[in-house]
Amino acid sequence: MSRGRPSRVELLHGTLDLLILRTLRPGPRHGHDIGKHIRRTSEDLLQVETGSLYPALHRLEAQGWISAEWALSEKGKRARYYRLTAAGRRQLESEQSRWRAFARAIALILSPAE
Amino acid sequence: MTFLRKLLWLLRRRQKDAELQEELRFHLDEDAADRVADGLPPDEAQHAARRALGSLTLVQEDTRAAWGWTLVEQLAQDVRYGVRMLGANKTFSALAILSLALGIGANTAIFSFMDALLLRSLPVPDPQSLVTLAWHTKKPEMHGSNRHEDSYDDPDGGFVGGIFAYPAFELLQRDASVFTSVFGYQGAGDLHFAVNGRAEITSGEYVSGNYFTGLGVSPAAGRLFTPDDDRAGAPAVAVIGYALGQARFGSAANAAGKSILLDNIPFTVVGVTPPEFFGADPNALPNVYVPMHASLLLQAGDRYGRAAARYADPNFDWIVPMARLRPGVTAAQAQAALAPVFAAWKAATDTKRPKADLPTLVVRGSAGGLDGLRRTYEKPLYLLLGLVGLILAIACANIANLLLARASGRTREMAVRLSIGAGRLRLIRQLLTESLLLAGIGGALGVAFAVWGIRVLTLLLLDGRGDVPFAPEIGVNWRVLAGVGVLSLLTGAAFGLVPALHSTRVDLTPALRGVDRRQSTRARGVNTSRALVVSEVALTLLILVAAGLFLRTLSNLESIELGFNRKVLTFELNARQAGQRDPGILAFYDRVLVELAAIPGVEGATLSDSPLLGAGWSATTVAASPGPSKGSHVLTVGPRFFETMQIPLLRGRAIEARDRAGAPYAAVVNDAFARTFFGSADPVGRHVRLPRPCPTCDIEIVGVAANTRYGRLREAPPPTIFLSYAQAIWGPVGEVTYAIRTAGGPLETERAVRDIVERADPTVPIARMKTQQALIDGMINQQVTFARLCSAFALLALAIACVGLYGTVSYGVARRTAEIGIRMALGARRAAVVWMVQREVLMLAAIGVAISVPAAQAASKIVESFLFGTQRNDPSTVATAALTLAAAAVAAGYLPARHASRIDPMAALRHD
Repeated sequence: MSRGRPSRVELLHGTLDLLILRTLRPGPRHGHDIGKHIRRTSEDLLQVETGSLYPALHRLEAQGWISAEWALSEKGKRARYYRLTAAGRRQLESEQSRWRAFARAIALILSPAE
Repeated sequence: MTFLRKLLWLLRRRQKDAELQEELRFHLDEDAADRVADGLPPDEAQHAARRALGSLTLVQEDTRAAWGWTLVEQLAQDVRYGVRMLGANKTFSALAILSLALGIGANTAIFSFMDALLLRSLPVPDPQSLVTLAWHTKKPEMHGSNRHEDSYDDPDGGFVGGIFAYPAFELLQRDASVFTSVFGYQGAGDLHFAVNGRAEITSGEYVSGNYFTGLGVSPAAGRLFTPDDDRAGAPAVAVIGYALGQARFGSAANAAGKSILLDNIPFTVVGVTPPEFFGADPNALPNVYVPMHASLLLQAGDRYGRAAARYADPNFDWIVPMARLRPGVTAAQAQAALAPVFAAWKAATDTKRPKADLPTLVVRGSAGGLDGLRRTYEKPLYLLLGLVGLILAIACANIANLLLARASGRTREMAVRLSIGAGRLRLIRQLLTESLLLAGIGGALGVAFAVWGIRVLTLLLLDGRGDVPFAPEIGVNWRVLAGVGVLSLLTGAAFGLVPALHSTRVDLTPALRGVDRRQSTRARGVNTSRALVVSEVALTLLILVAAGLFLRTLSNLESIELGFNRKVLTFELNARQAGQRDPGILAFYDRVLVELAAIPGVEGATLSDSPLLGAGWSATTVAASPGPSKGSHVLTVGPRFFETMQIPLLRGRAIEARDRAGAPYAAVVNDAFARTFFGSADPVGRHVRLPRPCPTCDIEIVGVAANTRYGRLREAPPPTIFLSYAQAIWGPVGEVTYAIRTAGGPLETERAVRDIVERADPTVPIARMKTQQALIDGMINQQVTFARLCSAFALLALAIACVGLYGTVSYGVARRTAEIGIRMALGARRAAVVWMVQREVLMLAAIGVAISVPAAQAASKIVESFLFGTQRNDPSTVATAALTLAAAAVAAGYLPARHASRIDPMAALRHD
């Protein structure tokens, strides 16, 4: 489903959850908005497939990390808004620190201090 | 937490689906809107958004998977698939389900029946605190007066007596430390019950004054007895049963206070028992209760004049006592407290037994006092339970076998599914679902079968005695059903799992090529299947042998040489109870007899004091002079007795009309009597005396009759002496039994008989009008039931085992198709192929029989006491059973054998 952008980065396995949780930290968003936000914030490097986004959202909801409710979008249409729960906030913290440790380890190996 | 949420989601599934669709639609709209904003035309933007989303169904599927109910969905899928598979193989499914349903149904029915009959308590408050009192001796007791329904032989050779002398009853009542009350009863037999000139015969019971308060029964109307009612000289009062109250007075409330005649003596009905109460003794089921001391009125004309004396006699046992324990006291504690008291009293008063053999007191928790009922039905029901248990075992083995054979037939399907990526666990789960489905349907059908089976059992077992008061109440026992249901599911799981594991562990390549069937690696499955069939055969033989033994017993009983015509119609009259006295009573009986003999079609009519079979059972000592004194049965008979009953006279003459009061006493003896008393000498002309009723009466033997059965069907004809009823040696004439032999059907005369008796005296009711054959049918009812049920069970087992054989052999033939093809290509004849297949069948059957015959020999000990005229290990029965089984096995092997013999060698070789 490439849109022909040559410099797209494959989403690493298991990182989608982290990205969704992080995206929801400032406040509730609906599904389309979440996908768009991730793409924009990553400067179009990360492209979230719809086919993965919605299963992920529903899985996170089933785990209790995010909750969903129907509300009117800014254009006045009914949309399903997701919101971070307290458990989700804790999960985000731990995932974030794990990811930072992981990224640092990769960085250390790729560009060792000389 | 999450589980709860999942559960909630599950409940809102439809709504969730709608929401997901709306969410995705919103996504598409937003995406398209974004693309329009980017400069695309609206309809192109729509298409682009759809393309970006990919397959909408796939997204929905994946999202639903995230909801976490895939398990449930897969289960539903498995069930759907399972139902399709069951439908695809209808014969297999029908056989499996049917055998399981029959097994489960039969077990549930018998268990429910047992539970209702054996574990039931009396419908009174707190039945758990009721105990029965009895005495026990280490030696067997043969004394006639102790022979009572509540007395029986101990398994260890001792004797348990359930009846006590009145002084002992009073003794037990005196100690109030362990019992709140000790009460008692004693059957009063048939009572002549008359209201406003309309009379009927009904069953009565003597009860102690504290009987109803002790049991805790409250009246439906009026009042029940108090101790003041139960004294010599107290006003004559009675309590009647609810049904009788309704039948004779319109309602229970109407009955209280009414006057009635019992045996022509005026009594006042003071109250009515509640509808659910049927008396403390389920074998008696009285309709009328009178105080114990009313026996002084009702038995004033007793043969021995003992009515008053028996209250003082410490050696005459007649009262059945029961007691209610004080709260916190156990039956064992009560026994410990009272046994020494009873022993001391016995030591002081017992004149019948040596000091070392005195009875000891036994106090037993009766859980409501249905002990007698339990003794009557316990053994037959346990036996039936064992038989249906065997059936269930056969059904389970059969299902295992069928599942195994089918799993082998599906190896290829499994291989295909595994090779296109199905998980093994998923396949096992699916196969398990199928077998559980099978078990579930079988179980459900089993319930239906159980409901029907209980009805049939009620009819079969209790029909001979339709007097069991709660028979219609026996329903399916849901606890039992739940247990059997779990059992059936376990069967399904256990026998489904093995083939499931087996058939999913396949080597894909050969299986897909279809060559696996020829490989010897499959031999294990074949051996399991053979072992199962052999065990089915072995179990079936057990049931066949049991059925054979019962059928033989039944035919022996039915062809018993009675020694008299079994088609005679008999009925009982008791004019004395209706108030007639000597000498008019004899004239009355004679008048009826003359009229009966005049009914068109009647070939002969006579009377006796009781029928040959049935009620009559009176033994006494007869002294021959000169000659020995020995026990003999006594029957008083009227003229033409031997002629009417068609009992051949061997010597001398019969009892005739000239043997009336005042004439020399005359007697006819049977052959057994003649041999016992006089050996080979001619008894005609000899004289005997009966020391008990009439020591001075000098009786001359005038004839010898052929032997007949007497009293009990199964016992050899005992020595019997026939006296003239008109001479009344055996006490004043009371009840008589008329016997009528007719040319046509005996029941056609019934109307005429009723008219005659009604005209002669409307207050004398007819009791127990039936043919001797009907009486015998009632006596052998249990054997008839056993033979029928057991034959049905045997057919069922045989059918199931044949299905098993058929399945195993067909599977074997299919497996060896190529081999058989080669043999035939090499010139094997069809007969040889048929023999090859049948040989396997016969081998399996033979192994099963070889295992089962010794088992049957051992197990037949259980049925020994139900048999008559046949040995429990009767060789011809065992041989017949084995031959039947072999024949059935050959029949079961016929189809697969024929199939094998018609294999086309060319097709078989190209088969794979």
